[in-house]
Amino acid sequence: MGVFVFLPLVLPLTAWPVARLAEQHLHPRAATRLLTAVAAVMALCSTVCLALVMVVGTAQLPGNPLPDGWSDPEVRAAVPYDEVAGKAAIPALCAVLMACGRALWRHGRVRRRAHGALAGLPGTSVAVLPDDIPYAYALPGGRRDRVVVTTALLDRLEPAERRALFAHERAHLAGRHHRFLLAVRLAALANPFLRPLRTAVAYTAERWADEEAARVTGNRRAVATAIGKAALVSRGTPLATLAGLAAVPGPVPRRVAALLGPAPAARRRPSLFTSVGLAAWAAAAGTAASVMSSANATVTMFLIFRAAF
Amino acid sequence: MADHPRPRRGQGELEALVLSALGEADGPATAGWVQERLGGGLAYTTVITILTRLLDKGAVTRERAGRSFAWTPAADQAGLAARKMRKVLDAESDREAVLASFVTGLDADDERLLRDLLGHAGAPGDGSRPGSGGGSRGEGED
Repeated sequence: MGVFVFLPLVLPLTAWPVARLAEQHLHPRAATRLLTAVAAVMALCSTVCLALVMVVGTAQLPGNPLPDGWSDPEVRAAVPYDEVAGKAAIPALCAVLMACGRALWRHGRVRRRAHGALAGLPGTSVAVLPDDIPYAYALPGGRRDRVVVTTALLDRLEPAERRALFAHERAHLAGRHHRFLLAVRLAALANPFLRPLRTAVAYTAERWADEEAARVTGNRRAVATAIGKAALVSRGTPLATLAGLAAVPGPVPRRVAALLGPAPAARRRPSLFTSVGLAAWAAAAGTAASVMSSANATVTMFLIFRAAF
Repeated sequence: MADHPRPRRGQGELEALVLSALGEADGPATAGWVQERLGGGLAYTTVITILTRLLDKGAVTRERAGRSFAWTPAADQAGLAARKMRKVLDAESDREAVLASFVTGLDADDERLLRDLLGHAGAPGDGSRPGSGGGSRGEGED
């Protein structure tokens, strides 16, 4: 099977165009679900592949506890450059597992600490904190879901915009968006080629909550101005990315622009007969094919090992 | 939804007065103390009514002291929670990854674009709410 063994490691590259198209043309809810599923499957295949290659690598180490059959010549023949690849896979897999473990641990810690900070307050679903830094977020889980917002932000918003803000955060909680975000975060750690999917899902999850807020409040413009104002008053927040170098506008202006336009259609498949539709379907087919071949390469290697064992 | 422990902009002015009076007390204070503190402009029963309303909102707490109640502003609790929360957020460089915050940062280009968008949002074509769009620009520019 030759270099096909390594396919699951590089195939995530093919998900990039579909991430872009889904972000722009699908309903944000569908885009979030689709992209998260693609990222999760590809990350899983990539990690299993890495683990299998690592087995070949460790089999060469003296005194390893693995069954001798695993380092049979036919197993090693299945992996090209088995010496180099096998040895490289050992630290790579360790790095992936450690990064994912650390991310999970930190995820739990932030949520635990945030709930701990709110412990002294009455158990309302909205926690208003007197603070002059404007921020708001949805805090999932613990004993209960909560929306955390500071007085500095609330004071800047009109009543309709406050309703929009709360509806947005409640949509995050009701849709369990933190699970999608965690899944793509772990996927991006498992295979760095999946990072664009993480960025895309972070954006589509916000858009999903925006659209939900617009639906609940019935006022798209209030959601748009709430986001705009919140972004302008908290503009001191340092940016994690070098967005200034990119020609594409950042996520906040795109969200506001989308809300100032009409609501996206929920269930409409793009027609094959437009260039956008054609591109979307081609990208979707490509992604499906790469997911399939990722899975196929993984299963094939697994079968070779079982035969050797 | 919009009610929070420190009402502003004229809403619940009396509540704010009572709450600030409570805040000046050294510890739990009785309704009589609050009434005195406010200069006698309010009836005792009014003070009790306002305190009860504040209690319902979670803005104050009370404990029994003899035949009456001693009241404490819960705003201290909220202030404490705010400080703790700030600590949690400051400690986590990648909190964005865990907490889906309402907005992320803006760069200069984004800011310009956003002001344009909001400016147009308040422009004619949406005559139903003329004040809101202008307000958004005014708020953002200070």
